Amino acid sequence: MSTVETGTQAEQPLLRDIPEDEFEARYGCDRFTATVLANRYRYTVEHMCAGLLSNAFSIILRDWYDFAATIAGPPRDNYSMPAVSNSLVLFLGTMTDAIRNTVQEYGPEKLRPGDVLMCNDPYRTGTHVNDVNFVRPIFHEEEIAGFVNLQAHMLDMGGVVPGGFSGTKRNVYENGVVIAPQLLYAEDRAVTSGWSLIFDNARFGDVLLPDIKTIYENLRLGERLLSETLERYGIRAFHGAMRYACDIAGEAMHHALRALPDGDYAGEDRIDCDGVDDEEEFTVRVTIRKRGGRAEVDLSGSSRQARTSINAGWLDAKTAVGVAFKFLIDRETPFTSATFRDIDIVLPDGSLVSALPPDGAIFLYWESTMPLVNAILRALEDAVGERAVGGDYGSLSIHSASGATADGTPWATMAQCGGEHGPWGATSTGDADSYNVFYLANNIDPATEAIEADFPVLVMRKEYVADTAGAGYHRGGAAVLKDTLWTEGVEHYSSPMHVKSASGFGVGGGGDGRNGAVWVFEPEAFDPSALIPDTPEAYAGTTPVAGVLDPETHALREDGEYFFFARVPMWQTEPNTVFRYLTNGGGGWGNPFERDPERVKRDVRDGYVTIEGAERDYGVVITGDPDRDPEGLEIDSAATEAKRAEPAG
Amino acid sequence: MHTFPRPAEATVSVAREPVEGECAACGAQELRSYPVLSEGGWFRVVKCQRCLVSKSREPWNLAGSITFLSEQV
Repeated sequence: MSTVETGTQAEQPLLRDIPEDEFEARYGCDRFTATVLANRYRYTVEHMCAGLLSNAFSIILRDWYDFAATIAGPPRDNYSMPAVSNSLVLFLGTMTDAIRNTVQEYGPEKLRPGDVLMCNDPYRTGTHVNDVNFVRPIFHEEEIAGFVNLQAHMLDMGGVVPGGFSGTKRNVYENGVVIAPQLLYAEDRAVTSGWSLIFDNARFGDVLLPDIKTIYENLRLGERLLSETLERYGIRAFHGAMRYACDIAGEAMHHALRALPDGDYAGEDRIDCDGVDDEEEFTVRVTIRKRGGRAEVDLSGSSRQARTSINAGWLDAKTAVGVAFKFLIDRETPFTSATFRDIDIVLPDGSLVSALPPDGAIFLYWESTMPLVNAILRALEDAVGERAVGGDYGSLSIHSASGATADGTPWATMAQCGGEHGPWGATSTGDADSYNVFYLANNIDPATEAIEADFPVLVMRKEYVADTAGAGYHRGGAAVLKDTLWTEGVEHYSSPMHVKSASGFGVGGGGDGRNGAVWVFEPEAFDPSALIPDTPEAYAGTTPVAGVLDPETHALREDGEYFFFARVPMWQTEPNTVFRYLTNGGGGWGNPFERDPERVKRDVRDGYVTIEGAERDYGVVITGDPDRDPEGLEIDSAATEAKRAEPAG
Repeated sequence: MHTFPRPAEATVSVAREPVEGECAACGAQELRSYPVLSEGGWFRVVKCQRCLVSKSREPWNLAGSITFLSEQV
């Protein structure tokens, strides 16, 4: 079906202002019912997620919340998505299209009540092969009324790296098994060939089995809740409320776009290299053309796809664009498929964020879509004014490790012992938090006790590092330093992707956060009777994984040498080896020399800023001893006034 | 699936093909044809480059330019 836009964007009345009879005709129910049902849809997906979170066995579901649930409309409404759970942000945009692509390829006419479809192909449904889309149709009077869906990270999906988290895989064949759209359940009976496809290719089947069964039960829960809704309110209201939920989101984004000044805006960000060598940097460039209530986001001029599994797919790019716009200009309304109603994405084939099979392997896709978010945040910095957002720590620097217990039982830890959590950038509302997952995620932090109980590792420290946050009227979040001590011989994959240039860029005059790095401390490189210090001298005996460092001392140095993360694709370590991750710092917001000196003093007291940093970065002169007498710190007002009056530069 | 080679050039861009005619909304003779990703998936659009109003929007392949060998079975 072809559509033609009317051309002029004459203001339509807001949905809240249209007459009741018109509302009823458009949505098949009254305004109150539409609102109740839209909330009911959001309740349903949250309920499905709560069921999975509280019953999952795998660490990536149980401890990370690496999944999302959605509702999709029927084929005749083009599978519109009125509700998505408040869980993994990376799935928001992908699932708007993943359900359509899965069902349409399989054939909606072949679906029956009680069926569950699955698909995990990054080129069909986004993200990576470990994220399997499970899709269950909801029938009403023998017709598909909609779908309930769970996309969840499976602990393993085959491939050459246990758990899959590595930026060194060179094609789809090394990446893991690809599941094209097919049935896992047919009329509530397990399809053995579907289960076998997974179990015969993936590790940790004993964990996948109960997890997938739990997913199935929560799809049934979602179906039951929506069937009750259908029975009570009828099919017209059921579908009308879906359209209403989408239209509200589309309307909100449209008006947010209208409020932006018309213009062409450009921005870019990059990652260090791929897993082959460090000779090719990868840049994501955006040009945003904004006219009235429409925007076009063109990624032309971006780098071609990488040679290893750091690429993202076209649906991951869609997510990043939607999230960045929601972040900047439309924070109040829920994300739906209509978030993109007035946004066109122009996406060159074979780019870093629209990689092609089979050599454009996709696994660490967020490492490439975070630069896309950053590029948009940078491009629109001036246009959004005070609503500008500083950059975050930019890379998960994800760590995975594997080994076997004394009886030979294999184990794998993933995304628990690297730089997965760190600081955000500051905003107009205040200083940034220092311990989150990055902007494209919304996960939880695995508990130290669970990590140490499950694996041969001790989490020695997670702490903030002074003078790493971007200075600003509002300060960015501080970098996180994490040490893990591995008590047995272990194999590790470590993927820090953004240490050459600042990911935590400042906005509105705010400063950039400091870049991080990753080091390995072999047993002979540290004193095991004490915590390893965070001083420049502490790194002399280390083996750097990645970072811009002094080539001799291995301490951070802005004009130092870049250490390429994949020169050792897989790290084999002796017992009692320490991995140290230092994340990037978050960007500041606004002029730091206008920050209230009392707030700077508080940062010195709390260890975010040193006395030297307070004077250098904020022009605030503080006296006292923050370690021995933190409440005795004092501001030297005269010296501060003089310092702040000095000419810039 | 099909084999798509890695681009030889270091950067990649989308070509916008000129289309005869003028925009019904603003009158500009700046119509171009190219694929876009938006609500509802991929579309081939003919679109005004001055005001971004689409003259036409035709639904395109489910996965854009990516096609699958199984389609030829």
